[in-house]
Amino acid sequence: MIGDVTSTALHAALTGLAERSRVTADNIANVNTPGFLAGRTDFESALSGALSNGEKPSISRGTVARSLEPTNTNGNNVNLDSETVIATETGLRYQLALNALDGKYSVLRTALRTS
Amino acid sequence: MAVFDTLGISGSGLLVHRKWLDAVSDNISNINTATRTNEDAFKERFIVARAVDYGSGEGGVRAARAEFGSGQGRLVYDPTHPLADKDGMVKYPDIDLGGQMTQLLMAQRGYQANLAVVERATTAYQAALQLGRR
Repeated sequence: MIGDVTSTALHAALTGLAERSRVTADNIANVNTPGFLAGRTDFESALSGALSNGEKPSISRGTVARSLEPTNTNGNNVNLDSETVIATETGLRYQLALNALDGKYSVLRTALRTS
Repeated sequence: MAVFDTLGISGSGLLVHRKWLDAVSDNISNINTATRTNEDAFKERFIVARAVDYGSGEGGVRAARAEFGSGQGRLVYDPTHPLADKDGMVKYPDIDLGGQMTQLLMAQRGYQANLAVVERATTAYQAALQLGRR
């Protein structure tokens, strides 16, 4: 009941989103580093795959691949605009998952409350 | 994975960009530093940035080392200068101010971008710390 699919899925989403925000921070920290290729995180495919099979998803940080976008003259392909968009979106989705988890916990607390 | 990884990574970005700003301001402040013709002129300083553990779990950036430009400089005729040689020449560093200003802008913008990430990560972490309070 407490560690059910809902809270496990939200936990997995939070872990994946935290990893994406970490990778985005890494990309922005290296915005001027020659030869640096931006990292891209994917945890959604594993999460949605597990959920559509009705399994309890595993908590994982997802996979990080290197972006294949064209590089500029110093071999760097970090694009500050898209990194900012990704950072904003990841932050909002993180808050969304937190709110959902909060809602789940308040339901549990209601059920646990003695009359 | 440390708990507040994002903050450490942006911190490393801030540090490297600040070191770059330091190097640029040092270069600009010495742009008119004269030397004797038989000595090296002031050498332009460059910061070499390297990604920390590229591709592994750890992230961030570090200033690997500093590189120095040529000390050849350019000769200027100024016979009244106390450092002038017998032909009346002194040596000034051959630093391009336009290039330095461009680098200043890049370092400043990079610093600001990292600072924005710090703020964003703080908001997310603060929200996570409120989990289950209500």
